[in-house]
Amino acid sequence: MSFSRIVVWAIVAAAAGGCQNGDGGDGATTEGSDSDGTTDGVAVETEGGEAAECKGIEPGPSPIRRMNRREYDNTVRDLLGDDSRPAQSFPTEEEALGFNNNADALVVTSLLAEGYLGAAEDLAEAAVQDLPALLRGCDVKKDGEATCAEKFITEFGRVAYRRPLTADELQQLLAVHQAAADEFDFATGVRLTLTAMLQSPHFLYRVEFGAPMEGDDDVLRLAPYELASRLSYFLWGTMPDAELFAAAAEGRLLEPDDVAEQATRMLADARARATVRDFHGQWLELRRIEELEKDDDAFPGFDPDLRPLLRAEAEEFLDHVIWNDRGDLDAMYLAPYTFLNGELADYYGLDGPSGDGFEKFELPPGRGSGFLTQGGLLSVLAKPNQTSPIHRGKFVRERLLCQVVPPPPDNVDITPPEVDPNLPTRERFKQHSVDPACSGCHGMMDPVGFGFEHFDGIGRWRDIEAGQPIDATGELVGGNTNGTFDGVGELASLLAGSPEVERCMTVQWFRYAYGRADAKEDACTVDDLTQKFAGSGRRIQDLIVALTQSEAFLYRRAPEGK
Amino acid sequence: MRPSTLNRRTFLRGAGGACLALPLLDIMHGCDSPTAGVLPQQFRGKGGPKRFVVFWTPNGTIMKDWRPSGSADAYTFGRILQPLEPHKQDVLVLDGVDELSAYKGPGDAHQKGTGQGLTGTELQEGDFAGADGLSAGWADGISVDQAIADAIGNDTKFRSLEFGVHVYGANVGSRISYRGPAQPIPPENDPTAAFDRIFGDLESDPAAQARKIAERKIVLDAVADDYQRLIKKVGAADKIKLDAHLAAVRDIEMRLETGSTIGGACQPPVLGDIADPSKVGNIPATGKLQMDLLAMALACDLTRVASLMWMNSATAKPFPWLDIPEGHHELAHRGDGDADAQEKLTLINIWYCQQFAYLIERLKAIPEGDGTVLDNTLLIWVNEHQKGNDHDRHEIPYVLAGKAAGAMKPGRWLQVEGDVPHNNLLVGCMNAMGLEATTFGNPKYCNGALGLA
Repeated sequence: MSFSRIVVWAIVAAAAGGCQNGDGGDGATTEGSDSDGTTDGVAVETEGGEAAECKGIEPGPSPIRRMNRREYDNTVRDLLGDDSRPAQSFPTEEEALGFNNNADALVVTSLLAEGYLGAAEDLAEAAVQDLPALLRGCDVKKDGEATCAEKFITEFGRVAYRRPLTADELQQLLAVHQAAADEFDFATGVRLTLTAMLQSPHFLYRVEFGAPMEGDDDVLRLAPYELASRLSYFLWGTMPDAELFAAAAEGRLLEPDDVAEQATRMLADARARATVRDFHGQWLELRRIEELEKDDDAFPGFDPDLRPLLRAEAEEFLDHVIWNDRGDLDAMYLAPYTFLNGELADYYGLDGPSGDGFEKFELPPGRGSGFLTQGGLLSVLAKPNQTSPIHRGKFVRERLLCQVVPPPPDNVDITPPEVDPNLPTRERFKQHSVDPACSGCHGMMDPVGFGFEHFDGIGRWRDIEAGQPIDATGELVGGNTNGTFDGVGELASLLAGSPEVERCMTVQWFRYAYGRADAKEDACTVDDLTQKFAGSGRRIQDLIVALTQSEAFLYRRAPEGK
Repeated sequence: MRPSTLNRRTFLRGAGGACLALPLLDIMHGCDSPTAGVLPQQFRGKGGPKRFVVFWTPNGTIMKDWRPSGSADAYTFGRILQPLEPHKQDVLVLDGVDELSAYKGPGDAHQKGTGQGLTGTELQEGDFAGADGLSAGWADGISVDQAIADAIGNDTKFRSLEFGVHVYGANVGSRISYRGPAQPIPPENDPTAAFDRIFGDLESDPAAQARKIAERKIVLDAVADDYQRLIKKVGAADKIKLDAHLAAVRDIEMRLETGSTIGGACQPPVLGDIADPSKVGNIPATGKLQMDLLAMALACDLTRVASLMWMNSATAKPFPWLDIPEGHHELAHRGDGDADAQEKLTLINIWYCQQFAYLIERLKAIPEGDGTVLDNTLLIWVNEHQKGNDHDRHEIPYVLAGKAAGAMKPGRWLQVEGDVPHNNLLVGCMNAMGLEATTFGNPKYCNGALGLA
């Protein structure tokens, strides 16, 4: 049982139009103000660390989770040896909180159900081409069709459903097989049974019933096979491997220590690296690098062919930090180096590596602050023809500090100021700080974004804009992370030293790992995880293992409203 | 270029077939599905069912070049609508309807303009990042195409078909169609995938077709039972999700035998080599294929409701085939005094109008009854905004086409005065399609039907 400081879920801007200053005044209150008062809050820890008891086990919500496209493709690869990635033709996932694995957002439309049907038919058709392999040595002539059908369903079912089938399920699937075999033939029976299994909720979703616990009717502990799936989908984005299945079957996946041991083993596998990349692709919006379009007149140096290189820079860097370097939050935010190849070095105008391969490169003093100074991210957080202090500031607020910037009042003209060759960006955005209807919220974003002004709309360093030296001074106000800074380096130091950033890193991983938003009742879990993260020297790998040790991971709520 | 994976022989073989089994058959004309004859009268057109089609483009127009001049009946098209000249008697220029609901609720101007265009109701609160710190969730209600599909789309292979051209991502700016609150329907951008989905099952060999249906029955029966059993064991929140999945499975199952037969006007297009639809430069080619597929899906009566979403709300894509290197959204944001941007925006909208004219031509080319499929169709061009740089959502530049079997009177420039909420137009569309609606979307923004006859 752990104790935690109380977390107050404060709604930062209840007043229309006002953020920190709340001085939007009546002028900001429009008829659209019923959209204000967002239900999302900013977690603000009360000063003084008032202690609250975290009583009992609180797993938080445990929604049923459906595979997303990445998980589907990985799963059929591991289940059937099929690497055709059929899910790439399914509709794109709907996202929530910046992630594409959020259970609440993953609903099924007709188009997707048709996709499942078509993919299952194709996969089954391909699989029965080598029927003996599928039947794993069962000889229809010698052993009989009934025996082979039962053996196939039992054995294939165990891996497809990621747990042994119940007796009822075996009978139901045998009935499918029989119906098809009677109407057509044995092989069709196998094929159609397989087609049905690949559309079963027990394949497409992670169905969890849990196991009862003595003395607690509200909470269930996860059964070993369910834990195996939670581990494999979180750490690898795919179904359990043979060792996880064996551990579940042999009673080696019961205690938190067993789970931690498996998690540590799994982290050493390349599949865990792919998962960490997937996380960063979403959290840091790196996936959007591929969609970048820039204005040729404003940025003639931007070639769409650079996009994969900019993404590679970010990935090589994060891979290095997390797996080879110290692996901690500080290195992510503060590392004075990046990874470049010849083409990117030219792009940045740096005297760096010359070949195609990426190499670690120490940036000139004052220019390198981990992922925050890389071209891909800074291009994503910019307009096609100019920088965007708003988007950069908003990114810091929402992605790095987990704060919510409330919507401005309705009916305001939100046309960004036009590019003016004689005025630096900061000057052009002045209205935001002058107009009281804007300054409340933009005071949260623009002064943070101004810190990035040394980096132009495509992420390259500049000392001068519109004939004037860059002013990259800025200020963080309002939350628990406050201070003034000059440039990204100082901003990064401010952020890296902030408990809010530490907690936010934990929250982002929580959302990704558990496929859901952090709910109010998760406050103790988030506190506990944050403490463990801090206690480990803020190492990401340790945070990942800690995420498999939480109440949210090891337990689930007994279903309500059955 | 990517080679088409389609088996063209199948369709060549199928092309000689005829729809002999069908009632109401006019061998010279379109090929009615068997169910068109049993449709309630209000949903029937002349020689075929009524259809509803949405054509959607983003970022507003340039009103001075869009608005006709003259009088309601004797008018001259502006530059943008000029491509509709050959179809002047088939179109209704609807001028002055305001998207009033889209000034309310969460979201930025683009999110609201897009998510509310066909739903007429506020967006939910949510995490989709909008411009300048705004955010929203999905639309909070069913869209008008789906409401219409619920009435007229139950007997066809697809209740509705959603086509995209260059619609990327999955967020409120990339969806116009909703089954219900927070149930967006994704459009299909890829003509190959769309073809496979729509026509891939049209086996020319009746035995193969029967076998496929028999197999799918076995499989889908088992799958539906599986969901049914699980639904009884889960909590309320999971039940909602699994219910939706089960409904989708049942929907496929129910429509297994509602395919069509190739013949008459129903001739699946031969797609040939298909240019990569994810490339911006291929947008014109992709769009044309999608319109061909859409028209043919109507001709084959595989669906009676369809939409075509060209690009995302606020799309930043350039128009290289018009020699416009700037992103559409960036141009749309430039001031009224920027003559270069204004001209380019006009050119973009002229191009979209040419596409709209092409779709009209396609529907006109399919004979049905004494006329064409267009006569039985209500086609509507919807834009997310009227004007790009201030996101004005008043006086949305709607253009309607077709006759909805006489329920819509084209050949007019219909100017409406005062605040006419677009919900009224949505009701008017429903009425024209035979639905007895008096309100749609959030009733707060609806005060009657805008008559189209």
